[in-house]
Amino acid sequence: MALRDLLRRPPPGPLADLAAVPTWPVGTPLAEVELLAVDLETTGLDARRHEILSVGWAPVAGAEVRLDGAAHRRVRPHGDVGESAAVHGLTDDALAAAPPVEQVLPELLHTLTGPRRLVLLAHHAGLETAFLAAACRRVHGGTVKLQVIDTVELERRLLGSGEHVRDGALRLDACRARHRLPRYRAHSALTDALACAELFLAQCAALEARARRPLVLADVLRR
Amino acid sequence: MDVELAEVRDFLAAHPPFDALPPEVLDALPARCTMRYARRGSSVMRAGMSSDRLYVVRSGAVDITDAGQLVDRVGEGGSFGMSAILERAPARYDVTAREDALLLTVPQAEVERLVAEHPVVAEHFGATHRDRIRRALGELQQSERGSAVFRTSVRDLLREPPVCAPPGTTIAEAARAMADGGTSSLLVMEGDRLVGILTDRDLRRRVLAVGVPSDRPVREVMTPDPVTVRSEALALEVMLEMTGRNIHHLPVLDPQGRVAGLVTITDLVRLERSSPVYLVTDLARQSDVPGVVRLASRIGRVVDQLVTEDATAVDIGRVVGALADAVTVRLLQLAEAELGPPPAPYVWVALGSAAREEQTLGGDQDNALVLADGADLEHPWWGELAERVVSGLQAVGWERCPGEVMATNPRWRLTVGRWRAHFRRWATEPEPDAVLNASIFYDMRAVHGDTALVDGLRAEAVALGSRSDLLLAYMAGHAARMRPPIGFFRSFVLEDAGEHHDTFDIKLGIAAVVQLARVHALRAGSLALGTTERLAAAQGPGQISEESARDLHDAFELMSYLRLRHQAEQVRRGLRPDNHIDPARLGSLDRRHLRDAFQIVRTAQHGLSTRLPPVP
Repeated sequence: MALRDLLRRPPPGPLADLAAVPTWPVGTPLAEVELLAVDLETTGLDARRHEILSVGWAPVAGAEVRLDGAAHRRVRPHGDVGESAAVHGLTDDALAAAPPVEQVLPELLHTLTGPRRLVLLAHHAGLETAFLAAACRRVHGGTVKLQVIDTVELERRLLGSGEHVRDGALRLDACRARHRLPRYRAHSALTDALACAELFLAQCAALEARARRPLVLADVLRR
Repeated sequence: MDVELAEVRDFLAAHPPFDALPPEVLDALPARCTMRYARRGSSVMRAGMSSDRLYVVRSGAVDITDAGQLVDRVGEGGSFGMSAILERAPARYDVTAREDALLLTVPQAEVERLVAEHPVVAEHFGATHRDRIRRALGELQQSERGSAVFRTSVRDLLREPPVCAPPGTTIAEAARAMADGGTSSLLVMEGDRLVGILTDRDLRRRVLAVGVPSDRPVREVMTPDPVTVRSEALALEVMLEMTGRNIHHLPVLDPQGRVAGLVTITDLVRLERSSPVYLVTDLARQSDVPGVVRLASRIGRVVDQLVTEDATAVDIGRVVGALADAVTVRLLQLAEAELGPPPAPYVWVALGSAAREEQTLGGDQDNALVLADGADLEHPWWGELAERVVSGLQAVGWERCPGEVMATNPRWRLTVGRWRAHFRRWATEPEPDAVLNASIFYDMRAVHGDTALVDGLRAEAVALGSRSDLLLAYMAGHAARMRPPIGFFRSFVLEDAGEHHDTFDIKLGIAAVVQLARVHALRAGSLALGTTERLAAAQGPGQISEESARDLHDAFELMSYLRLRHQAEQVRRGLRPDNHIDPARLGSLDRRHLRDAFQIVRTAQHGLSTRLPPVP
C-alpha cells in the first residue's frame, strides 16, 4: 500500500478510524509494539479475481501471543468456491451461513485500530496485504498504509543470503520445524495465524541472540 | 470457542490436571491463555521475582534450579510456576529454557478460579508430596483385588506325590497305605496308567457299610476311570468341577496325560486362606535340602499372589521374612542332624534386610553366628554348619553377600564377648569406612538357637551407639549420600547432575530410608528393627516429627511396593528379580508418585544433615 493510498482520504467508518491513529515509530522497542498475526484463506492467488473465504487473527504484544484476542471468521464469497475447496476444505455449503466480506472486514479493521495502528504480521505477507487492500477498496473505497512484518523475509534473513534455499524450505511448517516448534495437525486461517505468530517469537529470539541487543521495530519490518 | 483453538485445547486435554476438567471448562480455557517462546539458555523466571501466571510447556524443556542446583526438569505437558502464584510469593527457583521452548501461560486469576472450582486441579498443584503419596498407596493396594482362585492354576496346588497302588492290592493294604501317607485317597495305577481312585468315602460306603471283606482287591471297590483335570486348569475351574460333581478328590494329568498329582477340596480351601502359612508348615517337614529348595521356589509365587491381593509391602516383607526364617531354620536343623550337636550354645542371626524382615526376592543374604562365651571359635563344626546353610540359601535364590558378611566368614563367627568388643569400637572410635560396613550389624535378629545370646548384646550395642555422636554423624553422612533421583524427564530418570539414565535402582531410594530410620532409631536408643517400627520409635522431641516419620514411612512403603510389584512381574516372566526399574514401563501416575517419594527422602536427608553434629 503506497503513500498515495493514504492521501485518497477514505470516507468516515472503520477504515477512516484506522487511518486516524498513527503508525509506530520504527525505533520503538519491539517488546512495546502491538502486532496482529493475520492469515487468509482465498479462492486463489490473484487479489483482483479471487475472494477471501476466511480470516484468522491473533494479537502479539510483549513477546506473547494473546489467545484471548484470537479470532476466526468465515466469509461468504460472492462467487463460487470452485476448485479451491480442495486446498482449504471450505465448501459453498459450509460458507452459506457465513457473513459476507462487508461485515467481516470492518471487524478486522477495528481490531487493527489501537492507540496506534497494529503492525500486520503474516507469512508470505504479500498475499494478505494484496487481498486486504483489494477488499478495502471494494468495501470502503480506499486503503490505509500498514506497517508489515513478513516471517518469510525474516526466515530468509536468518538462513543467510549465501545459503541456497530449497523449494519449500520457507513454507510455514518447514520454518516452524527449523525452530523446533510443534506441528499443527490441521490448517485453517486461525491455526496458520497462530503458527505464524509463534514462529515470529522464535525468529525474534534468534535475531536478538544474533544482534546481542533488544530488537526495535525497524529490525523486523518488511523492507 | 473458535474451533482452531482446539489445537491448544487438545494439547491441554492430554496433560494433567487439565485432562480431568469438564469439556466446557476445557473449551473455554485456551482463549484465556497466552503463548510465549524461550530460546535455549534464556531465562524464563528468576528466583525472587514475582510471577502472575502458570506455565505449561507446550514444546521443548526447561530446567528448574535452586542456586544452580537442579531441582527439576520439565518437558512437554509439564507445568511450573504454580507455587509463586498460589502462595502469592516471589518465585523460589530459577527457570531456564534447556531447549527452545514454547510456553503456554495461564493467568493467575484463571488458575485461582480453576483451583477453587475443580478439586482435581487444587489437588494436583496444591497437594503436598505427602498427600499425593498417601492417596496413591490407597489406590495401588486395591487395584488388582481378586480372589486367588481366579489366578492360581492347579499345577501350583500340587503338594505331596499321591499315594498309589496297583489294582490287585487288597483293600486292607490300600487302607494302610492311605493311613501311612496321611491322605484320604489312593490312586489305582496299572503301570503309568490311572485306572481308578479309592477314597475314604468309598471305604465307608462300598466296603464297611456293605460288608465287603478287606482282603478283596481294590479293583472291586474303586471308582474306575475317575474324572481328571489338566494341570493348566485354573483353581476356579477345578472348584466348579468338584462342587458340580460332588467329589473331593481330583487326579491331575500333565499335558502328556501322565498323573502329575492329586488335588483335593482341602487344597482349594487352603488356597483361599493364606497359603504362606502352609508353606511354612511344609518347609518344616522337609527331610532334605533339595526338598527345602524345591518348596522355597514357591516364595516368588507367594509374593506375586500377595501383591495382587493388595497386601502392603510391610506385610509382604514380613511374610517373606517368615518364609526365609522357615527355610533357614530347616536348613540349620538338617545340618545339625548330620553334624551332631553343636560344640557350644550358639545362635544364628539374620543381618540387614533379613533382620528387619524387609527381604525381597533375589536379594543378597547377610547373616552371622553369635556363640556363647568360651566357645571354641576354631571348631570346624561352625564352618561346616555355616557352609551348608549359606549354600542352601543360595540355592533358594538369595545370593552370597559380596562383602562376605555371612556366617561362612570366620570374621563374623564370634563369641558374645568379641561381638561386644566390635560394637564398642564402632561406637567409641568409629572410622568412616568401618561405620559404612558396620551399619548392617545394627540390624541383628536371632533366627535359630540360643536367642538369649543376642538380646543382651543388642541392648548394649544400641545403648553405646545412641551415645556416640561421632558414630551417628558418620551414619547420618552415609544416609545423606544415598541420593535418590530427582524424578523423571521424558522416558528417562533424572539424576542430580542433570544426567539421564534408562533405568534406576529403586533399592537406592529404599536404602536411603532404611539408613535414615536406622540412624534415628539408634539415636533414640530404640531396639526396633523394622524401618516402620524404627520411624515410629524415633518420633519425639528432638527426634523426627510425627509428620516426617509418616512421610518417610509412606515413601518407603510406596517404593517397596513398586519394587515388589516389579519383582513379582519378573518372576512371572521367568526372569531373575532385580531392583532396576525402567521408567518407560511405569505409568505416569507411578512416575509422579515415585517422584514424590524421592522428594520426601531428599527433604528428610537434608533435615538430618542439618540436625546432627557435623563430622569433625
